Amino acid sequence: MMHDQIWTLLARRMANELLPEEEEELERLLQQHPDASYIKEVMMQPWNDRQKPFGPEEADQALERHKLRLESAMVAEEEPEAPSSGRKVRRMVFQLTGVAAALVFAFFIGRKWFAAPKPVAEEARLQLVTQKGSRSHIKLPDGTSVWLNAGSKLDYPKQFTGRKREVTLEGEAFFTVVKDENRPFMVRTKAFAVRVLGTEFNVRVYPQEDIAVASLVTGSVEVVLDEKQNRVVRLRPNEKLSISTLEQLVTTTTAKETVALRQPVKSRLTEVRDSVIAETAWVENKLAFKKMPLEKVVALMEQWYGADIRFKNENKKQLSFTAVFDKENLIDALKALELTGTFHFMQDADGVIWIE
Amino acid sequence: MMNDELIRRHFRCIGEGGDMQAYDELYRLLCGRLIRFSAAITGSFHLAEEIVSDVFIMIWQKREQLAAVENPLVYLYVCTRNRSLNTLQQHRKHQHTSLDSLDTDALAMSPDQEQSMISAEVAQRIEAAIRSLPARCQLIFRLVKQDGLKYREVAELLNISSKTVDAQLTIAVKKVAEAIRLNMPSELAWSFLFR
Repeated sequence: MMHDQIWTLLARRMANELLPEEEEELERLLQQHPDASYIKEVMMQPWNDRQKPFGPEEADQALERHKLRLESAMVAEEEPEAPSSGRKVRRMVFQLTGVAAALVFAFFIGRKWFAAPKPVAEEARLQLVTQKGSRSHIKLPDGTSVWLNAGSKLDYPKQFTGRKREVTLEGEAFFTVVKDENRPFMVRTKAFAVRVLGTEFNVRVYPQEDIAVASLVTGSVEVVLDEKQNRVVRLRPNEKLSISTLEQLVTTTTAKETVALRQPVKSRLTEVRDSVIAETAWVENKLAFKKMPLEKVVALMEQWYGADIRFKNENKKQLSFTAVFDKENLIDALKALELTGTFHFMQDADGVIWIE
Repeated sequence: MMNDELIRRHFRCIGEGGDMQAYDELYRLLCGRLIRFSAAITGSFHLAEEIVSDVFIMIWQKREQLAAVENPLVYLYVCTRNRSLNTLQQHRKHQHTSLDSLDTDALAMSPDQEQSMISAEVAQRIEAAIRSLPARCQLIFRLVKQDGLKYREVAELLNISSKTVDAQLTIAVKKVAEAIRLNMPSELAWSFLFR
């Protein structure tokens, strides 16, 4: 009968726990017992699971199912927070009608501005990313609260150091900035920068959209169109500034001419119905739009629900809709729009929704 | 068997940068063994997948606190263990749940016949030998052999000493050896006899 020592050492070898001084002893024992060498071979080989072997394919499928659960968990997680922020937004909206304190603007600044050196380059940066169909909330190191809408990315430092608080945004976010007069808060985007001291505002600069939007709810902001030329537009409550981002495609014009072409247009926020403002409704978990062509509604819904919606009939793109969706899922929302009788939709086997 | 450093790197990327790609990779890398571990406790692969999914949802939600985790792999196993036991407790209401009663079907394994050059009969005998061991011993054997956990990691996860892990593995390896030796090819037995 072999001594148990050889099995202990074999077990340690298998587990990569064998100490250097034990190697020799194992070798000696294996030479004494050739049958144990064969047993060692078997122990060192990879073994098979008898039940439900889990290969890369199974892992991919499990990941897909997990991501669906994660997304709905992220949306659900925000709901307990929604009442307080919802009240906040409603209160803000009240101010908006009473005191008139909201505005939306949209701009674009060319590569010239974007190429400006970032003063915070050495700071440790963090990133919050949301997938399509999910939204997220974060408190920045200075206490500033940020709601990040679907399909967006926010870059921020681990700590705000220096005399500025700077973040970089792609997509859409709603900021409630903690007031600090000594350290202005700056949101940089590919289209423009927004400079504030302490206020509540929304910025929307999705790369796939031809208009960049930022909405101020309370306080005041400066929109920096061109840092070098000091092209700054100060926005007052209830104003909206829009500028097309399409000029980016005009490659023949010089940078100077391009800037001149991009004239910002001021207008007001869109009140869809009593106390629902289209630009900031998403913070309350509402999807709202007013007199919007179906083509744009569809783009919004794809982003909001993380869906794939296509047109079979191109003519339907120009249909105009006004709606506020709250708890509705994608299909319920589409059914509500379909009730107008102007279009039909169907979902194919791949989950793609077709409008005709 | 498993790249501990890779797991740590993924964990860091998730914690510091909210890196969704690292998150997906980590899930792909570990879901199989965590689901099996949970299935051994809960007795259901279906339930186990949900539990592991919940663990990973928690990882994402608390990603800013991940830097405080010392050993990501053990942390994930411990979270899976706790959630599995809690889930079981809820399902069975007043019954006491522990790691002593395990569904060992989920843990069953055997050597690869082609790689080890063994017959189906021997493979079956080895599987049966492992199955005849106490449930906890089977679990320890799997965590080391298939999941690549270190002795002290298994010890931490199961609240036992590293010495116990060592002793339990000795028992398991001995059992496998006995199953193989009963079927030792004659030439090997021959050389053994005449040494």
